[in-house]
Amino acid sequence: MLRLINLAVIGALVLAAAWVYEIKYSSTRQAERVAKLRAEIRRERDTIAALRAEWAQLDNPDRIQILARRHLTLKPIEPTQFDTLERLPDKPIDIVPPGTADPIAALIEIMVDPEVVTNGVTDPEASQ
Amino acid sequence: MSVAQVIASERPVGPTRRRLVHRLLYGRNVDRSAKTRARIALAIAAFATVYAVIALRLVLFAVAPESHAARRTGSQDAVATARPDILDRNRQVLATDVRMPSLFGEPRKVIDVDEATELLTAVLPDLDSGEVRERLGSKRGFVWLKREIKPQQQHEIHRLGIPGVGFLSENKRVYPNGAEVSHLIGHVNIDNQGIAGIEKWLDDRGLADLHRAGFASDRQQTPIELAVDLRVQHALRDELIAAAEKFKAKAAAGLVVDVNTGEIISMVSVPDYDPNNPRQANDPTRINRLTTGVFELGSTFKALTVAMALDSGKITLNSSFDARVPLRYGKFNISDYHAQRRIMTVPEIFTYSSNIGTARMALALGVEHHKWFLRKVGQLDRLRTELPESAEPLVPKRWGELNTVTIAFGHGLSVAPLQAVMGINALVNGGYLIPPTFMKRSEQEARALATQVIRPETSEKMRYLFRLNAEKGTANKADVKGFYVGGKTGTSEKVVGGRYSKTKLLTTFTAVMPCDKPRYQVLIMLDEPQPLKETHGYATSGWNAAPTAGKVIARIAPLLGLEPRFELPPAERLILARGQ
Repeated sequence: MLRLINLAVIGALVLAAAWVYEIKYSSTRQAERVAKLRAEIRRERDTIAALRAEWAQLDNPDRIQILARRHLTLKPIEPTQFDTLERLPDKPIDIVPPGTADPIAALIEIMVDPEVVTNGVTDPEASQ
Repeated sequence: MSVAQVIASERPVGPTRRRLVHRLLYGRNVDRSAKTRARIALAIAAFATVYAVIALRLVLFAVAPESHAARRTGSQDAVATARPDILDRNRQVLATDVRMPSLFGEPRKVIDVDEATELLTAVLPDLDSGEVRERLGSKRGFVWLKREIKPQQQHEIHRLGIPGVGFLSENKRVYPNGAEVSHLIGHVNIDNQGIAGIEKWLDDRGLADLHRAGFASDRQQTPIELAVDLRVQHALRDELIAAAEKFKAKAAAGLVVDVNTGEIISMVSVPDYDPNNPRQANDPTRINRLTTGVFELGSTFKALTVAMALDSGKITLNSSFDARVPLRYGKFNISDYHAQRRIMTVPEIFTYSSNIGTARMALALGVEHHKWFLRKVGQLDRLRTELPESAEPLVPKRWGELNTVTIAFGHGLSVAPLQAVMGINALVNGGYLIPPTFMKRSEQEARALATQVIRPETSEKMRYLFRLNAEKGTANKADVKGFYVGGKTGTSEKVVGGRYSKTKLLTTFTAVMPCDKPRYQVLIMLDEPQPLKETHGYATSGWNAAPTAGKVIARIAPLLGLEPRFELPPAERLILARGQ
């Protein structure tokens, strides 16, 4: 009985030792990975910063102005070129409702409809 | 059992516990099974202690996560300290850190100096081989070989595998916009410490202490957002450079300020310098004229005098003053530049920029009132902003009536232009004196800081006086149609050798837009502009600073989100409509 317990305890000890060993190594691996990722993040961040700096340099208004003067025919905007949305004329009314299958046919139909004929045109049937 | 009892009785009696242990472990007469149990218990206790120590150690390792790998990467940088990025109000980068590798050598570890030198100079052709050989041959532990090399070069040198040569990455401050915002953000020295402008302010705010303590080597710091708008800054600078060139001025300076919040949207003083090459900054002609220089601003000050008069309640827009003859004061003779030689009302005095009229206005209220008012609008004390550079106004020590007479039209009191801008802001924004700032600020925050210095009604009158001046006064060349610009010209003679010079002028122009509900103020200042053929030989403000301001406004108003409006009535009718 005692021997059996002893054997079980020894077995548990070996297992525990193996388990601890495994944990230790996996934690070392994890730590190394963390350090590596950290270094990578740092490098990425540095690269981003460098690229942002370069972008800002390329985006510098002074440089853009020189390029625009050389390559574009655009001119600085004048105050008279501004207008407000309120002063925009109204959108023309649709004669034909949108989504009609044959808009031209619908248009002709509306034109010949006696009710929309204006005063200027006399209805030949009515005058008879 | 009986034998054991006999032997036990023969033994001498010692301290009970010791005897018990001794007997249990070694006693021949002790029962075997009891002995075994005691031994097992001892073994269990010993193992338990060992396991407890191991467990404790594991817990300690888990609590302190510092590993060797982390420490190894940490030692590669942290040479030069990091600084937060500086952004403009639209989050455009004004200043940022870029990490640059630097090449160093450890001469004691170098095996073959000649070979190392040869290999290094092959990769870095601009390296002086004699110098490298001398440095690597020295007995020192550490030598810099080259600061700030390219990543590509670092890679190549790394590939060579020269012993005793290594890299350290350092933070280098770069200003991608070059001279565009130089005076505003300032610059840093080789060790990344701020020595001027906003950079210095950052250090004074605690960054320097962080650096000294060894923190802040990473770029994980929240960026600083300034109130400045890079696009406006560029437009202003571009126009100022053009104006300085056209009028052959020694220097030019400009400011754009939000009237309601005190935010400085743009500040330019040319000639300026490139903060990436800060050596130029020491040149005294490149100082920031707007904060570190004090000037007699001339007629611009008349706006303050007129506001004081209207705010006193004793003088109204209908009051009139005698400007028929020059005002004699002691041996001084005060005359008008645009002399009308008649009795003028307050709006006429303002639009014709009459020295006599404003002097009489100030005299009518008395010296003490004048002094009190100027102190109230912040013209007599040093103005402090985030910038470390500031200048004390030059106030006359004994302030008599003559001083009041001359200060009324802007001579005899030198102030920093930024200070005058703050005062004029208060005249048009409803009477709130708001300290200017380079940081972003909302209208509510500004209101909390503001002090009411003139009545809102007076402020309203001042707006229309400014507008009137642009419609029919000296400021008409700055009137950009559609933005309802108002303004005041100012021309002062510079003091040369203790006397006012007739040819060396300082011209300023203060513009307010839009005048019915002001949002921005623009100040333009030209130092010693020369008369041109197209200005008909004049070098006064209305001929150079005012048109420059007009050009600036036409460019920046759309950027600032101002809509042009053409239906606004002329100012004169508005004054009449609102009563006096």
